[in-house]
Amino acid sequence: MNKNNYKQNLYRRGMEKRGQTTAYIILAIVIVVFGIIVYFLYPRIGSILGTDTQPGDYMKACIAPAVDEGLSIISKQGGYIDPEGYILYQGQKVKYLCYTTHYYQPCYVQQPLLVSHVEKELSEYLESKARTCINDLKKYNEERGYEVIGGNTVDVDVSITQKVVGVTVTAPITFKRDSTQEFRTFKFGKASEMYSLLMTAVSIVDFESTYGDSETMIYMQYYPELQLRKNKLIDGSTVYSIKNVKTAEEFTFASRSLAWPGGLGFTA
Amino acid sequence: MKIEKSVIAALLVLVVLTAGVIAATNDPERVGTTDVTVCCQKTVSGLLCQDVLENECATDSEFALPTSCESTGPCDPGYCYDSEEGTCLDNVPQMVCNNEGGTWSSDKPAACNLGCCILGDQAAFVTLVRCKRLSSFYGLDTNFDPDSESAAQCILQAKADEKGACVYEEDFEKTCKFTTRSACDPDSLNGHSQTDTSGGNLFENVGGTTDGTGEDTAGDSTSGDTTSGEDVQPSPTGCQNIAEGIEFCPGMLCSAEELNTNCGPTKDTMCVEGKEEVYFKDTCGNPANIYDASKVNDDTYWTYIIDKAESCMPGSANIDSQTCGNCYYLLGSYCGASGIGAAKPTYGTNVCIDLNCPASDMTGGVKRLHGESWCGFDTDRDFSFQENAQSYEDNVAKSFKEALASLHSGGGIGADFKGSDVPVGSKFYRYICSHGEVLVEPCADFRQEECIENNVAGYSEAACRVNRWQDCTAIYTKLDCENTDQRDCVWLEGIQYVLMGGLSNGTVLDKSSLAAAKEEIKKFKSGDRELGGCVPKTPPGLKFWGTEEGDNAEAASICSQANAMCPVTYEKGLVGGGWECVENCECLDEGLQLQRAQLCMAMGDCGPKVNYIGSSGRTAGYKIFEEDLKKKK
Repeated sequence: MNKNNYKQNLYRRGMEKRGQTTAYIILAIVIVVFGIIVYFLYPRIGSILGTDTQPGDYMKACIAPAVDEGLSIISKQGGYIDPEGYILYQGQKVKYLCYTTHYYQPCYVQQPLLVSHVEKELSEYLESKARTCINDLKKYNEERGYEVIGGNTVDVDVSITQKVVGVTVTAPITFKRDSTQEFRTFKFGKASEMYSLLMTAVSIVDFESTYGDSETMIYMQYYPELQLRKNKLIDGSTVYSIKNVKTAEEFTFASRSLAWPGGLGFTA
Repeated sequence: MKIEKSVIAALLVLVVLTAGVIAATNDPERVGTTDVTVCCQKTVSGLLCQDVLENECATDSEFALPTSCESTGPCDPGYCYDSEEGTCLDNVPQMVCNNEGGTWSSDKPAACNLGCCILGDQAAFVTLVRCKRLSSFYGLDTNFDPDSESAAQCILQAKADEKGACVYEEDFEKTCKFTTRSACDPDSLNGHSQTDTSGGNLFENVGGTTDGTGEDTAGDSTSGDTTSGEDVQPSPTGCQNIAEGIEFCPGMLCSAEELNTNCGPTKDTMCVEGKEEVYFKDTCGNPANIYDASKVNDDTYWTYIIDKAESCMPGSANIDSQTCGNCYYLLGSYCGASGIGAAKPTYGTNVCIDLNCPASDMTGGVKRLHGESWCGFDTDRDFSFQENAQSYEDNVAKSFKEALASLHSGGGIGADFKGSDVPVGSKFYRYICSHGEVLVEPCADFRQEECIENNVAGYSEAACRVNRWQDCTAIYTKLDCENTDQRDCVWLEGIQYVLMGGLSNGTVLDKSSLAAAKEEIKKFKSGDRELGGCVPKTPPGLKFWGTEEGDNAEAASICSQANAMCPVTYEKGLVGGGWECVENCECLDEGLQLQRAQLCMAMGDCGPKVNYIGSSGRTAGYKIFEEDLKKKK
């Protein structure tokens, strides 16, 4: 091989490599664009591709982001979507689950039956979203040539239990084309540690209302997956954050109990 | 003939002014002890059943009664019972409980009595209904002992339950579940998808096996339908017949060959909720013995339960060990998935992960174990020993000597003297090492709590404890003062530290102040008082700022307790010469004045103190002035 050939080979290899790189870039762009299309069109992608999306899958895909969103808001704000009786902590409204105006006294519980309350709060949050999802589902199936009956009443029920947040959307609806498909409820379950976080919060509130304070170390010792942050503020409030280190789920709430004044607190 | 002139030399204390750091809040209601309040059903900020000023009641509040909420029917605090979850809360206003669907009672109801709930080899110290609820989560029969006295006893009860292989038939196939004897029954096996409940639990939150979490868990799914037994195989040695088609083999693993089940050894591992170790996993998903790479093909190791103490490397943390999964939570290791960049185990994907905290400024420069806690303060402070009264006095004496020497040599008294050990705005902190992270827990502001620390064999434990400083200055004898069962005070010996009970209002001396001082002097003579002063061991913070008149009145009154007067007698000859001090001349000595300043700072945020960033106040922090006592007579 003479010197010129060697150079030509090098040049060709370089060109081939450049060509390969360009091909990879194009492929990457195609994948990204495809991903974006899927992201924005799902769950309607089935319709576009000519396959029918099952109503259950459609509803699940439609409502799941709202469940995540609702849980995220609720867990940051002490179990409330729009709390009253809160402390503004790091720009976030954090509900007082236990509060007293007094110094030296344990707090009065502001929110007993916390799990039921969060279920109710999340249900209310999801109701309008579920209604939109049902309407979208009706429209989607009508576009596919189905006759749609019902779907006018929508009710959402949330159940928070050990490791699962379950959402049941009750919306009797019938789709008719070649055959008849009747649906009454759509169920969706999401793996979540919210229940144990809420029950830990209940236990802390119990300590706060009974003794005026709580000891975070005992929770961390007995439950290795829990991490508790406790921040006492100058006005006597305490903000708690309970985190599951495995799932990174967190629940934050506030309490004002056994507050100490500056000095003796005989003046306001 | 001599002319006498009495002069009062008094140290009058002014509060150090400093910038307080106030948390940003939306300022919900709170009241002082002297405010006239009403019991309000709902306050403007949305809080329920609170004693607030009348104008802080919401317009839609159902009532605003001129009494305390404690004695108002709807706001009467009591027990609230949640019949669904089986939990009880104390101090819940009646209407708050009822509105939420709870059952309220003024006395503790029987339903709130705690007992021991056994859940497999776990336990929870809870109410009966809570026990039923937890049992239902795991598909277990309710096993509740109302006579259990404590959570610790309850956990021991759970540990006593024997573990082994529960062999049964499912879909015409002999299968097995690794569980406890009590959980090996038809009810528990039927519809049960969990394999094991484990670990001690104080309150509740018991869990099943965790081996990955599915994102999408069907809420209504059930599995594990047990068929009734047909021909039961002859029992291997030690196995006991529990029910038709169900046998319990204590001390054995489901992978044991002689059990003839469809469960066998694998090279996979798993973490079990509530357990610290990495376990081998059999083909049925049951945990086997602790992961030991050298025993992966050892039939015996897959047949019988091996105790933790007899497993690989007992007593070590085995952090990131590729071959041994005998993690030790107390040494800071716990079963977890091997992370990116971490050591990969020889088999499986789980290792003993490191939960400890590396040495850093926050850890005091030493490595801390997971769960370890230690104290901190805004300025350097030695928590390795708990300061006792003697060391406090020594520090006071040392600080005084240094300041005096500095003063005599022409220098200032310096920040060390100006209460830099407990500066204005400072507070205590508790640091906690958790999952490799240092968490900071502030103790109560105004130094109303102090941090105490105990270190045993290099393991440190800390806690925020209430600072009982409030009645120090009302104590007049050393013995009472240093009674640590009742208060956190120290005694400063000597007449120079005598407190005169808020003598004067801080600006002028009047007749009543003088009369009060005379009364105090009588107590010394009768022996009711000793020469010295009882002061808080950790001076509290005071609220000395505010926008309204009287906001700092309390701070001023606390600080003024260190005010003092000292009658000095001067003489002047009839012919020539100036005034000469003849009695109590030591009161004019700057050394004594420094000691009074020390006493002043010991009251709280008083006197010539610096703040927590080392800055002095705008004023000296105290004032010494002279008055002609004759004019007061």
